[in-house]
Amino acid sequence: MAIHSILVIEDDRFIGEMYVRSLKKAGYEVDWVVDGNDGLITARNKQYDAILLDVMLPERRGGEILEALRGGSEDLIPNSRVIVLTNFEQDDESRMAMQQNADAYLIKAEITPKRLISVLQQLDGTAPAPIDQPQV
Amino acid sequence: MEVNKTPRQASQFWPSFYKKTIIIVAVTQLGVTLLVAGLMAATGVGALALLIIVGALFATSLIANIIIVHMISRPTKDLIAAIIHVSGEKPALPLPNSNSPAYAKSGLHDALQTIYELSTHQDDSTDTASDESTTPSSAVAAALDLTNCGFVAMDSNRAITYVNKAAPIHIDTNGVRTLDLLFNDHNDLNKWLDSCEEVSVHAEHVWTRVPDRLPNEENRRLFDVMASYNKGSAAETVLTLIDRTDVYSVDEESLDFIAFAAHELRGPITVIRGYLDVLNDELDSVLQDDQHELFRRLIVSSNRLSGYINNILNTSRYDRRHLKVHLIEDSIGGIYDVISDDMKMRATAQNRLLAVQIPAGLPTIAADRASLSEVLGNLIDNAIKYSNEGGAINVTAAVNGNFVDVSVEDHGIGMPESVVSQLFQKFYRSHRSRETVAGTGIGLYISKAIVESHGGTISVRSEDGRGSTFTVSIPIYSTVADKLRAGNNSNEGMIKEGQGWIKNHSMYRG
Repeated sequence: MAIHSILVIEDDRFIGEMYVRSLKKAGYEVDWVVDGNDGLITARNKQYDAILLDVMLPERRGGEILEALRGGSEDLIPNSRVIVLTNFEQDDESRMAMQQNADAYLIKAEITPKRLISVLQQLDGTAPAPIDQPQV
Repeated sequence: MEVNKTPRQASQFWPSFYKKTIIIVAVTQLGVTLLVAGLMAATGVGALALLIIVGALFATSLIANIIIVHMISRPTKDLIAAIIHVSGEKPALPLPNSNSPAYAKSGLHDALQTIYELSTHQDDSTDTASDESTTPSSAVAAALDLTNCGFVAMDSNRAITYVNKAAPIHIDTNGVRTLDLLFNDHNDLNKWLDSCEEVSVHAEHVWTRVPDRLPNEENRRLFDVMASYNKGSAAETVLTLIDRTDVYSVDEESLDFIAFAAHELRGPITVIRGYLDVLNDELDSVLQDDQHELFRRLIVSSNRLSGYINNILNTSRYDRRHLKVHLIEDSIGGIYDVISDDMKMRATAQNRLLAVQIPAGLPTIAADRASLSEVLGNLIDNAIKYSNEGGAINVTAAVNGNFVDVSVEDHGIGMPESVVSQLFQKFYRSHRSRETVAGTGIGLYISKAIVESHGGTISVRSEDGRGSTFTVSIPIYSTVADKLRAGNNSNEGMIKEGQGWIKNHSMYRG
């Protein structure tokens, strides 16, 4: 199943706009929300092929959103790939928990829009989380 | 010291004492005889007089002999008393004080002292033989327990035989005591002891800033650890731990600050790198050649800045014992691909000829892609910095036993041997590089830390004025796969990029 629709949950305006602009140019259909509560609600209300999730978010952290979506007995977004994007090092425990539920865990400073698109292309055509994904 | 003179004086004591006593006896008897003869000559001998003379002679000899016997037997009595005391029996005789001036003068002091010391040594050997603690006297032990410094003694089997209260140890269910010290490389102490056993009779070493717990754990202490090794001694290794928590915890806070500041820098860097990437594509057809060049410089600079921030973050993590790597099967070629474009651009921008020859058929290695690509980036960045305009930089890879070696060779300024030995120290910058090239002195420090976390090594060959070759050796995956699997690398296969997550693998080095 090809990735077409993407939800960007990102509170930094510059970074959010940058991703949204590049993804739209690359032909993806993109929705963007800036706080954690809206992010969780949007992710539950509409089915996206991929979700770009920031960690340090207002109202609700990325980790909580992921836990709410995938931490329970039922995966609420079985058809979505989740890419966690952060610049802030998590402690081992929360990072580990996020990685269990995410399809990729990336450092924003290393991911230019071009690289992000190549990650999405790599995820495309592979099974949703947890994927057996070779290196980027 | 007194002890060294002891055997000579103790052995001399008895003959000289004996000789002196004989002389005293002879002189006394002679005096008595002369007295008797004088009396007899002066008075003429009557029966009564004879009786008086014999009586006087008897009394005088009796008194003199009693005194002599007392004198002769006194040292024997004292020695017996000392022996009884050290044998642990109930004392039947008053214990001679070996420090009294009379003993010091006669030399008996040393004989008594020797007996007392022999008994102390014997106590030690008995204790060691029965695998008991090498316990200092209770007064010393009590004093050591009051200090803030830790003292640890270990025998030749590296089993702990003594610890004072301040030393951080834990005791397992079998009663085995283990040191709670988190050395930078968790095996530092054992490695040092290995080398001591091989080549040293006496050796000393100091480690600074060694914590007993992980960061953020309660009551964490930081020590300077001084180890002294004496081959064959009952306490073969003695560790002195000086609690420097007060001093170092301030540094820890500044390390936290550095980490926080570096994270903050990542936000703007994300935007700068991102938009440069976007604009570079979008303006490709519009820009003039010289403008393209300016763009490349912007991209190269932002990439380097990002690399330096990663070095700072990694160093702060490493110094706080937070640096962890997650090793999975990977190829050198794949790892180099991560930085390939960036390196090509950097070399071109600074007019260096970068030639990369990584053979396709190399075995896979156990690597953390993000960390190892940073190491290669650091080495190539250095090669660019320390070589000349137009200089060639060669990156090659080859199998070497159980390792894959990656070498970065430049033909730049090189360095003398005196510099090479200090190259991997934190903040180290050679006199010359300080004058000529900008840098922080953490690139090689953190590179070494990362490579060693892979179970690999980093080395350098250099010739002053001719250039340097840095070689990184990383274990071939198949040689360590079992250990890695035992380490339960549950996230194997996770996409990782940049500073992705890094998992501890201390179990891997077994």
